[in-house]
Amino acid sequence: MQVHKGWEQPIIEIENFSFSYEEIDKQPLLDGLDVTLNPNEVTLLMGASGSGKSSLALCLNGLYPEAVEGISSGDIFFLGKHIQDCERGELTQKIGIVFQDPESQFCMITVEDELAFTLENRKIPASEIFGKIESVLKAVGMQRFIHHKIHELSGGQKQKIALASVLLLEPELLILDEPTANLDPVSSLEFIELVEAIQEERQMSCLIIEHQAEDWLRLIERVLVIGMDGKLLADDAPDRLFSEQQRLLEQEGIFLPEEYSGGFEGRKRYNQTVPAEKTVLSVRDLSFSCKNQNVLNNINIDVLAGELIAVAGENGAGKSTLLQLMAGLLEPDAGDIFLFDRPLKKWRENKLRKHMGFVFQNPEHQFITDTVYEELTFGMKCNGYTEAEMENAADLWMGQFGLREHRDNNPFALSGGQKRRLSVATVLDVSPDILLFDEPTYGQDAATTTELMDYVMELKAMGTAIIFVTHDMNIVDAADRAIILKQGGVAFSGVPDTLWKKTKMLYEARLRKPARLRQNRRESHVYDIIH
Amino acid sequence: MISSINPSMKMVAVLLPGILLGLTYDVFTPLMYFIFILIVTFSMTHISILRWLKLFSPFLMLAVSFAWMTMLYANQTFSGGQEMFRFWLFEVTSGSFQTGVSVGLRSLCFGALSLLFILTTDSTKLMLSFMQQFKLPPKITYGILAGYRFLPVFQHELQTLRQAHRIRGVSRARGIKGSVNQFRRYAIPLLASGIRKAERVSIAMESKGFTDDADRTHYHNMTVKKRDWLFLVLMIGVLIAVFVLSYYFGYLQIFGRQF
Repeated sequence: MQVHKGWEQPIIEIENFSFSYEEIDKQPLLDGLDVTLNPNEVTLLMGASGSGKSSLALCLNGLYPEAVEGISSGDIFFLGKHIQDCERGELTQKIGIVFQDPESQFCMITVEDELAFTLENRKIPASEIFGKIESVLKAVGMQRFIHHKIHELSGGQKQKIALASVLLLEPELLILDEPTANLDPVSSLEFIELVEAIQEERQMSCLIIEHQAEDWLRLIERVLVIGMDGKLLADDAPDRLFSEQQRLLEQEGIFLPEEYSGGFEGRKRYNQTVPAEKTVLSVRDLSFSCKNQNVLNNINIDVLAGELIAVAGENGAGKSTLLQLMAGLLEPDAGDIFLFDRPLKKWRENKLRKHMGFVFQNPEHQFITDTVYEELTFGMKCNGYTEAEMENAADLWMGQFGLREHRDNNPFALSGGQKRRLSVATVLDVSPDILLFDEPTYGQDAATTTELMDYVMELKAMGTAIIFVTHDMNIVDAADRAIILKQGGVAFSGVPDTLWKKTKMLYEARLRKPARLRQNRRESHVYDIIH
Repeated sequence: MISSINPSMKMVAVLLPGILLGLTYDVFTPLMYFIFILIVTFSMTHISILRWLKLFSPFLMLAVSFAWMTMLYANQTFSGGQEMFRFWLFEVTSGSFQTGVSVGLRSLCFGALSLLFILTTDSTKLMLSFMQQFKLPPKITYGILAGYRFLPVFQHELQTLRQAHRIRGVSRARGIKGSVNQFRRYAIPLLASGIRKAERVSIAMESKGFTDDADRTHYHNMTVKKRDWLFLVLMIGVLIAVFVLSYYFGYLQIFGRQF
């Protein structure tokens, strides 16, 4: 495929562009980039967490560096015009961005008002607004939701509304910044399919920022890779890049699409250890309801020592609630949960916490002290260990989790991957018998994900029971047992291999097969069943 | 119907009588106006009486306690007249009794007016109307609108923080010092995530072409029509009528001065 399309004027020309948040940074976040984006071209932008991909997007539409008081050098041209010569609001209307977090990109209550907001910004006469809203909702398949409140929509629906509101700008360039990171597997596929259809129809340029290239492969014509040093490492057609530059990508912690990596490592990488015949936690006839709505119904689960259980299901199926109940953070309406044959209610709080660890989706929620060292030793301090013991243990953890040089840093100041590692390290200090993880790999790059899974598998081999709530089917594939929740009940419980054979049930639970079992990238059967 | 009255006009129509009533110290004036508010509430809105009573009951309690306190501690200016009854060390004269009842009735008027406004006004339309009628800058208008969305998010976030801290073995706070510490521990992550979310929302808004330009089109065009003026005239007009009537009967007292 031809990368540069000859005579046509590029949409974006970036020349020797550098950007950093603070002057004191020795190393700029983005360093000397030279890139052009062509009309009607779909480009994928990859790079490790924190390599400045999102910042580049915001530099393109002119919001950065002003919005963050960062500094930049070099030039960016939009259709031949220097972006510094564009008026405020001019560029943002030509370049539309859909962001990662569905919760924080809306400012109005209802779908209708949110879409009207975009059109009002463009000074579209009020009389034309309703018609435009109707037609864009039709384009994203959300006509029925015009009067709905945004916060009552599911994650996938919210992202469709976010896309709709950006399409109303009628942008020349559409930037998608990890738009599917928060979505369940089928919602994510639906969104990608929608983007593909719209791109084909409207013939606009797209820049997609994504950790997992896999599902986007059939749209993209070109891949850009930004390295950890902020330099452009690769600019190539996807086929060539993923087959010839694998070592480079692995070094940078970038996920290879399945068809190039030749099978997810999840299975091969780890020695399968067999769980012991010892029940750690058992859930009996558990029911839970919230605000008169049944969340969980009659759940029964036994967790063995050294067993890795993956809990999956669509958004809102009750996965996180189940985890919170297991941790004793919520009280069940009916039924019991036993830890070592003793009901959770009868455990003393501090004893219970020694046996059980819980890692939250957002690592920041777990930080309670001001430095990494204090964070690691907090539990030991509560349990009356001596200073020397704490020093030893903390040093061991910091070494293992690569945090030694951040000993006295504030946990909030760490990078995303470091925060994740620290949040895991903090629950290990008392070597618990069971660990609960709530979507720990969400929004993480390949390197962080692999690292986390390595620790988890090590713990499992030592006999710790582990429960994962996850949307990542490759992790489900590596588990000893998969539990699928659907409408508050257990729809499936068994080894993943059996699960992958139940095609119909997978789709009803809005899940899909893991990468290693997906033969072709078209995956036509998924769409047959969705639509 | 009152719910379709322009929110800005409605606010003026409710605020003005509220302030003016605050000046009357007799019983008759607020009583008459209170009856009028009730008539407006039940004839011109769809609020059910039961729901209204439920929401109004706290105002009623407050009004009764205000009245009672004023009766016992009435200022000398107002506490003339004959002793009506004694309560322990306090004596309640006809003057202080009258002032107390008046205070209670005025509180009831405030309560009823507030409810009339709150129950018939859409919060989004209120802000949009402020922008269009009172020329509030779009930056502030949409900032507040975006803020509405944050309240449930914060609630959820606080709940998660509590859970996370329990998991870490932070025992529940005891005593004042404990709760101050706990507040500090919650405040920092809550604020941090609040700031981050606010920043994301503002960037998303700007990315949709939002600028602080007051020259924008309005999908919900909040106009001031004849009926909005009629409502204002009704609310103020009846107030004036009540004042006049009360003056005519010789009840009217403003700041304790009989007219």
